[in-house]
Amino acid sequence: MAPVNISNVQKRFGAVNVIHGIDIDIKDGEFVALVGPSGCGKSTLLRMIAGLEELTDGEIRIGAREVSNLPARDRDIAMVFQNYALYPHMTVKDNMGFALKLKKVSAEETKVKVDRAASILGLESLMDRYPRQLSGGQRQRVAMGRALVRDPQVFLFDEPLSNLDAKLRVQMRGEIKALHQRIGTTTIYVTHDQVEAMTMADKIVVLHDGVIEQVGAPLDLYDRPANLFVAGFIGSPAMNFIHGRVEEGVFRTLNGLTLPLPAAANPATLGGRELVCGIRPEHIRAVTSGGIEGRVELVEGTGSEIYAKLACRGDEIACLFRERLDVRFGDTIQIAIDPDSMHLFDAETGRRL
Amino acid sequence: MVSVSMENTSAGTRGAKRSKPARLAPNYWPFVIPALVVISAVIVFPWVFTLWMSAHRWTLGQEQSFIGLENYIRLAGDGRFWESLWHTLIYTVLSVVAPLFLGTLAALVFDAEFPMRGFLRGVFVMPMMATPVAIALVWTMMFHPQLGVLNYLLSFIGIGPLEWIYNQSTVIPSLVLVETWQWTPLVMLIVLGGLAAVPREPYESAEIDGANAWQKFRYLTMPMIAPFLMIAVIIRSIDAVKSFDIIYAMTQGGPGTASETINIYLYNTSFAYYDIGYGSAMAVVFFIAIIALSFVLLMVRQRANWSEMEER
Ligand SMILES: Nc1ncnc2c1ncn2[C@@H]1O[C@H](COP(=O)(O)OP(=O)(O)OP(=O)(O)O)[C@@H](O)[C@H]1O
Ligand SMILES: [Mg+2]
Repeated sequence: MAPVNISNVQKRFGAVNVIHGIDIDIKDGEFVALVGPSGCGKSTLLRMIAGLEELTDGEIRIGAREVSNLPARDRDIAMVFQNYALYPHMTVKDNMGFALKLKKVSAEETKVKVDRAASILGLESLMDRYPRQLSGGQRQRVAMGRALVRDPQVFLFDEPLSNLDAKLRVQMRGEIKALHQRIGTTTIYVTHDQVEAMTMADKIVVLHDGVIEQVGAPLDLYDRPANLFVAGFIGSPAMNFIHGRVEEGVFRTLNGLTLPLPAAANPATLGGRELVCGIRPEHIRAVTSGGIEGRVELVEGTGSEIYAKLACRGDEIACLFRERLDVRFGDTIQIAIDPDSMHLFDAETGRRL
Repeated sequence: MVSVSMENTSAGTRGAKRSKPARLAPNYWPFVIPALVVISAVIVFPWVFTLWMSAHRWTLGQEQSFIGLENYIRLAGDGRFWESLWHTLIYTVLSVVAPLFLGTLAALVFDAEFPMRGFLRGVFVMPMMATPVAIALVWTMMFHPQLGVLNYLLSFIGIGPLEWIYNQSTVIPSLVLVETWQWTPLVMLIVLGGLAAVPREPYESAEIDGANAWQKFRYLTMPMIAPFLMIAVIIRSIDAVKSFDIIYAMTQGGPGTASETINIYLYNTSFAYYDIGYGSAMAVVFFIAIIALSFVLLMVRQRANWSEMEER
């Protein structure tokens, strides 16, 4: 267990700049989720922390040690690779026990640890198989098991559950979280899955094109996204963005809709420039009268909720209703937006106001 | 699933054929006969004839007479034959192990990136392309105790002079040196192919798992190229056990009989002493030994092949 400090880390592949100077402070025992769109540099960052990729510039410290120039094997980390990277010529059992074998851990102790990891991951019946005899999800669990048998300073997970079915994913998510609460090893966890990031992490780092957009607790990111990118990235379905201006104390969209301003907003400082108003679909209510009128363009019901896209004059607004509503394509319904759930951003800089 | 369905179809076609032969019979023989004739003439006849000869006392230029197994009984009590068997064994083992070791080492070197790699690899492979007799000539000169370049080089490090192929105790190692020089490149090419097929990702896992360079070689590289090493062993073994040209061109089995392998003794018996019957018996025994060797090697190969291993 150890804190991890990443300061001004940069990475260039030839002429391509992939990571542009990143600073992250991770406390001892913290669970950090690294999220961002495909190709933003998550794996690259993780591989630099692991020691598989050299830093172009900057410094990484694990515990008290500066590890930037230390080979991976001396950094005492465990990693689950995005592509699994299993040993093709070893059985599941040997794959999981390999690190312990190198450390000269006794056969009995290795067996205990491997069996425990196997039972967490539901791999007991596959222990004597070779990787090519496994399905994608099973391989991924073996990759996970290889990390779990270890007792490292830091766990690095690169989308470790991406190939599992929904049910297994929820179960594994719980197991990883429980494990982390039990042993408290510092963990950096890359994921595409919002729910994973929101439910598991103490802290989320949002990465975009090699720069950090925002770092914060999951609910912070949800409640107070620092910019348009984070606002659009965190939360599912994605936040509505409506362009407009503040005029006469209200927000007027480019298409002529009028929305009230949040109580905290100061109309005087907001006037005169183009703004973007962000509204999460789940913060929109259906009302019977006095709301904004919209024609239903799309309805999707999952049973627990109804997702609808409305055309309100020229603006398209996505809504998520938790109650059962009888709405059909082409209906006209009315919606109300709580002004305090609105987020305002500068259209030019994308910053939160 | 695929293999099952393929078996089904092949069984199906076989079943379908079974009903047809009666109608096909007069038609397909013309197509089969040429192949049968060639196989009989080239493979079956020589072997049957060799077997037949081995059961006769037959010295070239004299009457032959049937003697049954007498040639084989004589072989069992022939000290020179057992000695040649022993020479063959040592020669084979050494000329498998040495090229295998050096070839693997060379492959590991040439697998890494360095300047002029392609050129150097080309130079390294050249011995493979030389003809055995030319090689024998060059090495015989190099082995010359007084005039040879090898003793000259050894004199710098204070060793020798050695008598190389002119001494009973060093002749086999010297011949193995030539064989190794010529065939290490082949092993290198095979192993290099194996290394190219080895996936890179497991090395990153191993690095994370804490493996050092030696452990990565021992636990990843070796097992993953084992099938290729096995192929090299098979090719080399069968080649070395049959080795004739280099030995014959350089020593003819001498000095005395110190480098006489079965092949050389067999040749000398048949074509120097014209004892064809006895030579044939040797050929038969030798052939059976080679078949047995191939069989053992193929079995071992199956076990070394992780990519073909099935669930046990
Ligand atoms: N060895 C390399 N050489 C050149 N470019 C590379 C190399 N490795 C990665 N990149 C580039 O760096 C960028 C970041 O890659 P990375 O694998 O870190 O993305 P990621 O965030 O993990 O994406 P994903 O979510 O799809 O896994 C990509 O644009 C990729 O093309
Ligand atoms: Mg990635």
